[in-house]
Amino acid sequence: MNCPETTRLLNPYVDGELDLATVLAIEEHAQGCARCRASLEGLQATRAALGRHCEFKAAPESLESRLRAGVAREDASGWRAVLRSPLAVAAPGLAALLLAGWLALSDASRNEAPPPAGPTRVVYHISSSGNAGAALRNLANHLQAVPDVKVVVVAHNDGVDFLLRGARDASGQPFEPAVSRFIQRGVEFRVCNNTLERRGIDASQVIPAAALVPSGIAEIGRLQSREGYFYMRL
Amino acid sequence: MRGEIQRERFERLMLPHLDAAYTLAFWLTRNEDQAQDAVQEAFLRALRFFGSFRGEDGRPWLLKIVRNACYELLERERAAGAPEELDEQVHTPDAAAPGAVLVFPVNPEAAAIERAGRELVHGCLRTLPPDYREALILRELHGFSYKEIAAICGVPIGTVMSRLSRGRRLLQFRLIDRLKRKDTGT
Repeated sequence: MNCPETTRLLNPYVDGELDLATVLAIEEHAQGCARCRASLEGLQATRAALGRHCEFKAAPESLESRLRAGVAREDASGWRAVLRSPLAVAAPGLAALLLAGWLALSDASRNEAPPPAGPTRVVYHISSSGNAGAALRNLANHLQAVPDVKVVVVAHNDGVDFLLRGARDASGQPFEPAVSRFIQRGVEFRVCNNTLERRGIDASQVIPAAALVPSGIAEIGRLQSREGYFYMRL
Repeated sequence: MRGEIQRERFERLMLPHLDAAYTLAFWLTRNEDQAQDAVQEAFLRALRFFGSFRGEDGRPWLLKIVRNACYELLERERAAGAPEELDEQVHTPDAAAPGAVLVFPVNPEAAAIERAGRELVHGCLRTLPPDYREALILRELHGFSYKEIAAICGVPIGTVMSRLSRGRRLLQFRLIDRLKRKDTGT
């Protein structure tokens, strides 16, 4: 085993992808070669840094409940015959077609509850703090385009941040006056109490204009299934 | 009835891989909301494709679908003109030359890397080119073999090996570069 060969095989070596004879040959070479040993140490240090700092991310609970709901809703009988072929998995065109189909289906099933008469009702779901500013801009545009739309904003996970006392947007402007203006126009803000508990935030930190609900996800489900709200994720 | 049994089987075999799916989607899209959307799409697509699932290990099967959903979502966003997070230019000398011999920097830089904090490691990983980033995540976080990564990404095993080599090489290069810059305050 020489240096170029060792260098080429160093990654499969640390990944345990080589047979024993090759492993032994690499180790023998590295013992006598300071340069290859240093390469190996550098590689191992990089892997260790990844191992220390990168771990599995837990999927948000809301995602799991949405998936379960989606799976329960899905009636795949019409699709299965077409999609038995594993090839379909790799065919992006078909996949895009399917996706469009699914979006159409899921939109249809979301609206299964007969829409109540009167203005459109929309629930905005904010689950990430970085999106609050953009969500409020969208909300302003929405109200301008459809002045009688009824909007409930449900904040959950990091999305509750902008409804805490003293919260400011990316440009340093406080959120509270903007929120108050929306409330005057009939928008309601509801904060997930499960999130507060999980994150150890005292309820007194939430601005008084926002209401608390026991569970943001349950609230979104209720608004959609019982009150005919359309769901919008921001 | 049969559909119900199938759905129950799907949940039992696929939902345990939700965190694995979300982790991959996060590192590919680099955005939590997009990751959620991609995973949601992928699971529903997986449910439809479930007839083609032959009962082998569900994790690579599912992650292949997740991966495709992520790239399609990114492509749609790009087509819609959404601002995208740029990958840093690959500027190590060997990175672009296929078949070039990879020479790792000589120590004591290994010791320096041990000082790298979480933010730095994440920052460097985020900006790796997607092919490298994907291979690294699948190997280091998910623990897949080269063969499994090859199947998930739809490339030969040799390509997996070279993406991992180059990805780690580039990551190491950037970690050291940033650590040095931090030390000298530039």
